[in-house]
Amino acid sequence: MQINLLYQPSQALAQCWLQPGESVLAESGAMVGMTPNVQMQTQSGGMLKGLKRMFGGESFFRNTFLAEGGGGEVLFAPALCGDMAVLDCGARQWNIQNSAYVASTMGVDVHTKAGGMRGFFSGAGLFMLESAGQGQIVIGAYGALEAIQVNGDLVIDTGHIAAWESTLTYSVGKSGSGWIASWLSGEGLVCHFQGQGIVYLQSRNTAEYGGAIGPMLPPRKN
Amino acid sequence: MQHLIKHQPSFALLQVQLGPSETLMAEAGSMVARSHAIAMEVKLNAGRNAGFFGKLKAVFIALIRKLIGGETFLVNHFSGPSGGQVWVAPALSGDILHLPLAGQRMLLSAGSYLASAGEVDMKMRWGGLRALLAKEGAFFIEVSGSGSLFATSYGAIQQVNVNGTYIVDNGHLVGFDSSLDFNIRSAGGGLMGLFASGEGLVCEFKGQGRVFIQTRNASALVDWLSPMLPG
Repeated sequence: MQINLLYQPSQALAQCWLQPGESVLAESGAMVGMTPNVQMQTQSGGMLKGLKRMFGGESFFRNTFLAEGGGGEVLFAPALCGDMAVLDCGARQWNIQNSAYVASTMGVDVHTKAGGMRGFFSGAGLFMLESAGQGQIVIGAYGALEAIQVNGDLVIDTGHIAAWESTLTYSVGKSGSGWIASWLSGEGLVCHFQGQGIVYLQSRNTAEYGGAIGPMLPPRKN
Repeated sequence: MQHLIKHQPSFALLQVQLGPSETLMAEAGSMVARSHAIAMEVKLNAGRNAGFFGKLKAVFIALIRKLIGGETFLVNHFSGPSGGQVWVAPALSGDILHLPLAGQRMLLSAGSYLASAGEVDMKMRWGGLRALLAKEGAFFIEVSGSGSLFATSYGAIQQVNVNGTYIVDNGHLVGFDSSLDFNIRSAGGGLMGLFASGEGLVCEFKGQGRVFIQTRNASALVDWLSPMLPG
């Protein structure tokens, strides 16, 4: 599969070219357009896997797009304004914030991994995604994506993390010296990464966007 | 200190390389990432020479703003003995503007301060009674000194070189040189102009200096969004 990213970084679109008989897996709702010979099939990959994805903040179903009787094209985009990136899997493997997943080639197994309490505190939900196998993953972000090579230590606001290499170890903690200072600083929780590897930052944070706009909206009537 | 602004104008990200013991001040909540060697300390932004009452006033404003939302006027100080990197970004989709300060003063609307470095001093400035009527512009931030100032916007930033008079919608104002006289008033004049024109309050500038305006307005987004939300 060949992937071409257009309209980066604000309005990114992934243009995927499928060989005859080739297919690609995508998050439900990510498809923008496709050639007529591409067949879409909806699958949950099993009840348990589907439910696990739902807990992870993804959708229960994922869609498979198969090019029949010739090559085909599928376009994918995430919901929010922002960037996209293609992650190569094989020599490198990745951890992905579950809301960042858009699509993946069939050779890659993108499975839900319990992040444990660390994942819970990160605000990313109890689960995140982990890759295995060979192929490519397309991710989508809120804001622009910035790839940073970690050499040693890096501290990142949990809301700005899109994906990171599995070689990195991490721990979630408060940003300031104490809990009151952390609350006042507005930084909340941060992720301390250690080791060698690449981290993809997203330049905007949905929680901060909500925090800026939310208070100006009229109250919900229940 | 070296800086780089990337991904302009929609999703600007400020990357700062700090030398040993150099300090970057940034709006609370704006940090994206930092080197592990860089420590973060939250401080009250009362100005370096503020007396006891100045500090008390700043505490009061900071607490109120923390509770009702908006800019807290608490800033985070980033520094480390051996230096390192800090990445900073605003909450909304928009640009970051680098404004070098060399002794002059500038005024920023309350949400437009992102970060600063060097001998930069900040004060809250009351926008006047009429500004209270508007959703924005009740406070301005007066910035002076020498160093680097980073302002942020919702949307892209347009510089207007005023020579004479110029009028800007309050919600579209990022900041301006203090060499300009300004006056907040209703767009059409009178109550009708204020409520019926949809333009709300405007800032009228007189004199010579720069005005920076943002191409989008957060209040307009809220007005557009609100009717579509589920009841």
